[in-house]
Amino acid sequence: MSTPPIIEVRDLSKRFGSFQAVNKVSFHVERGEIFGYLGANGAGKSTTIRMLTGLLAPSSGSATVAGADIASEPTRVKRAIGYMSQRFSLYLDLSVEENLRFFAGAYGLSGAHRERRVHAALELAGLHDRRRVTTRDLPGGIRQRLALGSALLHEPAIVFLDEPTAGVDPAARRGFWRVIRDLAAQGTTVFVTTHHLDEAEYCARVGLMVDGRLVALDTPQGLKTAHVPGSLYAVESPEGTRAAAALLTDAPGVLAVEPFGQRLHVRVQGSADPLRFQNLLTSRGVLGATFEPVEPTLEDVFLALVGDAGKATP
Amino acid sequence: MKQLKQQLRAMLLRTLAMSYKELMHILRDKQMLGFALVMPVMLILLFGFAVSFDVERVPLVLVDQDHTPASRALADAFTASRTFEVVAQTEQPAEAERMFRSGAAKVALVVPAGFAKASLHDSEAVAQLLVDGADNTTASVALGYANAVALASSQRSFAAAMGRAEPPIDARVRTFFNPGLKSSVFLVPGLMVMVLSMMAVMLTALTVAREYERGSMEQLFATPVGRLEVMLGKLGPYFVIGEVQVLLVLTLGVGIFDVPVQGSVALVFAVSSVFLLAMLMQGMFISVMTRNQMLASQIAAITTFLPSLLLSGFIFPIDSMPPPLRVLASILPPRYLVHGLRAVLLRGVGFADVVRDMAPMLAFFLVLLALAARKFRREVA
Ligand SMILES: Nc1ncnc2c1ncn2[C@@H]1O[C@H](COP(=O)(O)OP(=O)(O)OP(=O)(O)O)[C@@H](O)[C@H]1O
Ligand SMILES: [Mg+2]
Repeated sequence: MSTPPIIEVRDLSKRFGSFQAVNKVSFHVERGEIFGYLGANGAGKSTTIRMLTGLLAPSSGSATVAGADIASEPTRVKRAIGYMSQRFSLYLDLSVEENLRFFAGAYGLSGAHRERRVHAALELAGLHDRRRVTTRDLPGGIRQRLALGSALLHEPAIVFLDEPTAGVDPAARRGFWRVIRDLAAQGTTVFVTTHHLDEAEYCARVGLMVDGRLVALDTPQGLKTAHVPGSLYAVESPEGTRAAAALLTDAPGVLAVEPFGQRLHVRVQGSADPLRFQNLLTSRGVLGATFEPVEPTLEDVFLALVGDAGKATP
Repeated sequence: MKQLKQQLRAMLLRTLAMSYKELMHILRDKQMLGFALVMPVMLILLFGFAVSFDVERVPLVLVDQDHTPASRALADAFTASRTFEVVAQTEQPAEAERMFRSGAAKVALVVPAGFAKASLHDSEAVAQLLVDGADNTTASVALGYANAVALASSQRSFAAAMGRAEPPIDARVRTFFNPGLKSSVFLVPGLMVMVLSMMAVMLTALTVAREYERGSMEQLFATPVGRLEVMLGKLGPYFVIGEVQVLLVLTLGVGIFDVPVQGSVALVFAVSSVFLLAMLMQGMFISVMTRNQMLASQIAAITTFLPSLLLSGFIFPIDSMPPPLRVLASILPPRYLVHGLRAVLLRGVGFADVVRDMAPMLAFFLVLLALAARKFRREVA
């Protein structure tokens, strides 16, 4: 591709006093890409977004967003982007339509153009017949869609969505992601943070933040191949998994054992035969354990990486 | 040129969007709106009827050392009104002082020997009025009354002596301009100060802090809306509410308390509007500085109630305050509103005369706007 990346970040850092919230992060995002930004609580996701949206001055490093420098031209950045903040989405005491009217005005839209865009946002949220409803009375999922529609009123080239699906039920989450994918298909760049690792599968590329550092960045498949080598088995045992976990952790040929819901995820060297481990468990008195091959998920990647990072920075 | 016009248009649109949003918040909050409209009515009725500064039957001790018709006429002028009541007559000023001490008298009228003689000759006739300053309100009101009575009676005797029908008019009587000496007439400008400052500052002090607290400030600053646009846009609807309050206070003042409107009503609104802007900006400034509704409302209450009550000249004369308070009073807007309103309502002065009251209030507005804009970073952290 010959067009320059729409977001370019070089050694971006933010300190709050002596606390390093974002530590020399570098990456770029292509036009029309869905870029996922993952990390545990306090990893520095929101802080990165605040810098990229011109809300927070970086301590060091630089970035351009839609061709504008975030430190010296924050106003140009703001005209080019839409933003859904993590805490606030809409004024709950105002009606659906009032919220949209206000944000349209805030983006400098007026007249017929404004009406057209408000209309489009109502469409996106599916709220045509509920435009006079007070926003507080809407279910969370619909509210988030409305907030997305309102962040898109001025047809920005990029939207930053900070945990847009937090507290939203799974069905509504799927609906929300359908909208995001449609958006990207039409050429809008989407920068999204999430706690739901399953959602990261929808992203073209995923960056993983741990303690302010970007520890991995690749396509979901690339991350799995690189960080979850070997074969993965889900292990279930009628007597619970505690004893099995202890035994497997020390067994030769086992790369990693992680609790995964009611089951264990056991990663073994590619050539190892699961029967061998089953026999090992049986011989040590853990009976009836089943080994089922599973595809690695981003959660496995996350567990592998957070474990590594934890060791690197004690 | 065309670009500039477009930019101005966009600024206007964004400011109007802020006003629109704020108006919607206000309309949703019926309780707040009701409070903003009922509070002025309550205040003015409460102060107008229950709290009277009219002074009656002030105990007076008469020290007449002259014993002439002139001295008796002067004494009669005082005792004729219900304001003073003669509680004792003596020839010894020391006796009067003792009565002050014991609280038996608050005012002493001392007519020295030779008073009548002096008034017949061209020289000044001096009678002394001693006032117990411990009770500030009574003292200042009594002084005012005494001043008017003394002048009127001296003019009468002067006119009689010279055989003229029209007594010469003394400028000091003119400054008093409240012939019935009714305190409610004085109260209305004072109430205007209290109502406008407390409501305006309180309402705007909450509005920016609220946006910080619920996190919407971050969302706002991610749009192209600038800090001046946020502040001025938010002021709009509160300005309208303030004007309605001005109308309420004025209507009640004229309708119930017979406050005269000697000057133009438009000028009353003009003076009040400048004060209103200053107060709205004071609230905005507090909000930007604190970013916290609780703290902002406390600071708003402290910084409006006391200045509008004490430093406005509404009840206590500013001239008799210690220098630091006088300086403070001349920086803060309340005294200018009281002065300007009294001038327009009671004296009927024109625009040129109240500009001197409007200018300091406008300056206050602009300085706070600049300070708030400086502090109001478009950063969230
Ligand atoms: N204004 C601030 N002053 C001081 N510390 C801050 C500030 N903002 C954020 N931090 C700290 O920086 C760290 C990163 O915060 P950030 O909000 O970026 O995390 P996050 O990845 O978005 O987490 P979450 O998933 O909880 O939203 C946190 O430890 C937070 O306490
Ligand atoms: Mg966050």
